[in-house]
Amino acid sequence: MSNFNMEKDWKSPVIKIGMITLLMASVLSFLPVLYLYFVHGIIPSVSLMLKSWGMIALLFGAFYIVEPVSYYAVLGLAGTYMSFLSGNISNLRLPCAAMALDVTNTEPGTKEAEVVSTLGIAGSIITNLIGITLAAFIGTALIRIFPPIIANAFRAYTVPAIFGAVFGQFAIKYPKLAVVGFIIPVGLRLFTPLPAWALIVASVFGTITIAKLLFNSSAKNPKIAV
Amino acid sequence: MSEEVLRVANSFGVWVIAAILICLVTVQSIMYYKLARTTATKIGLPKETCNIAFRTGMVTAIGPVIAIFVIMVGMMSVIGGPMSWMRLAIIGAAPTELTAAKVGSEAAGFQFGSPDYNLMALATSWWTMAINGVGWLLLVGLFSHKLDSLRDIIGGGNVKWLAMLSGAAMLGVFGYLNSGDVVSGGARLVAVVVGGLSMIVMIRFVIKKLPVLKEYSLGIAMLVGMFAAVFVSMIG
Repeated sequence: MSNFNMEKDWKSPVIKIGMITLLMASVLSFLPVLYLYFVHGIIPSVSLMLKSWGMIALLFGAFYIVEPVSYYAVLGLAGTYMSFLSGNISNLRLPCAAMALDVTNTEPGTKEAEVVSTLGIAGSIITNLIGITLAAFIGTALIRIFPPIIANAFRAYTVPAIFGAVFGQFAIKYPKLAVVGFIIPVGLRLFTPLPAWALIVASVFGTITIAKLLFNSSAKNPKIAV
Repeated sequence: MSEEVLRVANSFGVWVIAAILICLVTVQSIMYYKLARTTATKIGLPKETCNIAFRTGMVTAIGPVIAIFVIMVGMMSVIGGPMSWMRLAIIGAAPTELTAAKVGSEAAGFQFGSPDYNLMALATSWWTMAINGVGWLLLVGLFSHKLDSLRDIIGGGNVKWLAMLSGAAMLGVFGYLNSGDVVSGGARLVAVVVGGLSMIVMIRFVIKKLPVLKEYSLGIAMLVGMFAAVFVSMIG
């Protein structure tokens, strides 16, 4: 533990790298649109741009805020910058970070957790870059040798299975909260017309609220397990 | 989508742009990887732990990446190779990107995937995907460092509560993510339930007998869930 200062040696460089790379990505994201304009002379009108922006922000806007806040504890600071730059967070980065923490028996929220989740996510970035680069260059040929039943299984069932498995991973630790986290969104989906952003807010903050209540009552009466 | 539009979407210039973004992601991960390893030495985290963490990340990623691969090949015929490559390497996940592309095309007045999808629709789809991704990129880029203070405020420095808080957030998020498949029932419900139960069985029983499988537990649970879903879909 020699001369290590969390602020100076970790947070400060992490934030600098994160801000710069994410801001660069923001700007570079528009290159394809600019390409179409400069090479083919096509660009949507300002009103069309605003219209589609409004439509998509309505659908996903809440997630811009709820996701980073909810995932932060598992991803860590560096992990957050890495995951939101590289994407595929809930189906890839989160499971990999959560597994890295579990397999190494690391307590979340510690400086060790920062390092471990960063490395786990880095591993997932390598695998993903390999996979999608293969897909980009020889994907169409490769997919022909996949038996259709296997390709379909991956296309249709990987995501629900992985979401179920990660849910199970945390359900073991907090079974009562698992019931809450399951019932709130399912109940709301079945009985109310609430939009997706309301569902995620209700699920996350509802479960956290119950957790606080359970935590406080177990602090007073240590026999209650969560 | 018309031949001409696909040809433009697949043109060399777009490949180059995609490659630039891929390089950005690669550079960022290398920088963070190196920083993590130097920090590990400084805080006394053993090298073996670091290697395990990295390997677990790589291995756990295999299953999901195969799914991403399959979905991406499908996406390529709709929005072109380079854009699929780019958007799945940065900030995107297939359903989000496809939704954005669709919304953009409809805003421009064209049905996504129809033969009248023209270059203007393409430009609007690309604009919408970009501006949507930027929502996350800017918020996370500019405000993540505040998340730490936010978490300290909510967590109050109590390590046990912090762990529970993160568990609660995870359960809330994945409960939400599961709810769509749970409600729609059938094979997808089976995938969720069997995936969850397999993970619980893996952690509770299998790992105790075969600790070497620990790194693969999520992958195995995922495969069992998928297998069960395929089985159900075939007899259903």
